[in-house]
Amino acid sequence: MNAIFFSILAIFSLFVFMNLGKIKASKKQMDRDDRIKWGNRRRTSFFKNKTTIVEGKAEEVKDDKDK
Amino acid sequence: MSKHSALNTFGRSGNPAFTRNFDNTGALPKTERMTLDGAVNKTAILLSLCFAGAFIGWNIPALAMPSLIIGTILAFVTIFRNPSKAGTTAPFYAGFEGVALGGITVFAEAQYPGIGIQAIGLTFGILASLLFCYKSGIIKPTENFRLMIFSATMGIALLYLVSFIMSFFGSGIGFIHSNGLFGIGFSLFVVGIAALNLVLDFDFIEEGADQGLPKYMEWYGAFSLMVTLIWLYIEILRLLMKLRSR
Repeated sequence: MNAIFFSILAIFSLFVFMNLGKIKASKKQMDRDDRIKWGNRRRTSFFKNKTTIVEGKAEEVKDDKDK
Repeated sequence: MSKHSALNTFGRSGNPAFTRNFDNTGALPKTERMTLDGAVNKTAILLSLCFAGAFIGWNIPALAMPSLIIGTILAFVTIFRNPSKAGTTAPFYAGFEGVALGGITVFAEAQYPGIGIQAIGLTFGILASLLFCYKSGIIKPTENFRLMIFSATMGIALLYLVSFIMSFFGSGIGFIHSNGLFGIGFSLFVVGIAALNLVLDFDFIEEGADQGLPKYMEWYGAFSLMVTLIWLYIEILRLLMKLRSR
């Protein structure tokens, strides 16, 4: 009886994991200001996918200006 | 000075798999990005390999110790080497750890029949219930939460390391292995910390999928989840053994 109960618990839990795991977390979980910032750590840069763009007008640099 | 200066210095995750330096290659095509589906499917593959290994370990318990050593080495290789190779090392890790768990469970079953299935049921029960709590937003991991779990995990690791070293000199930290109230309380605490590490794993996978990390991070997330699940299973087994021996 004991074995049957825990077997069913294990199978049901795996079923829940396989289905619930593929669903996106609720807005209550995702839209928070105090979420863990995984990319902010000194040693990790998992989440650093930003590119640096300098906006403005491009100007030609003339090296011989002072000569 | 930052409010979380200690976090910035030492890192935050309780899981050592998250303390490695990686580069995201920038905007990736959709098919090459990490997804929740992929991470869950890869966890299922690793769990299947672990069960297959456990079947071998159950029938040949003598393989448990060598497999445990090889599995531990593979875990360190996955954590400290290039994570893009997790797709290669993680399946082997799961298989070898499975053999070790099979051997350990045979040993526990010989003393307390039926304890293995109880530990498996409770481990997956905790996994499913914490996943529900995380997805629904009942448990909300924050920076302080991560600091707390990281500190507790490191503390437990240090205690186990000291106990392991002391065992070579015929001594040890008695209370952590005793079946007294203090020993059971300690085991309950360790099970709690191992379970809360699952929440960090869920959050990492969710964030990784949200940010579109490279595809290989699915294997890495699944590997992290497996590390925590294997630890949780062993701790639940220890707790049940203590309770049954009273």
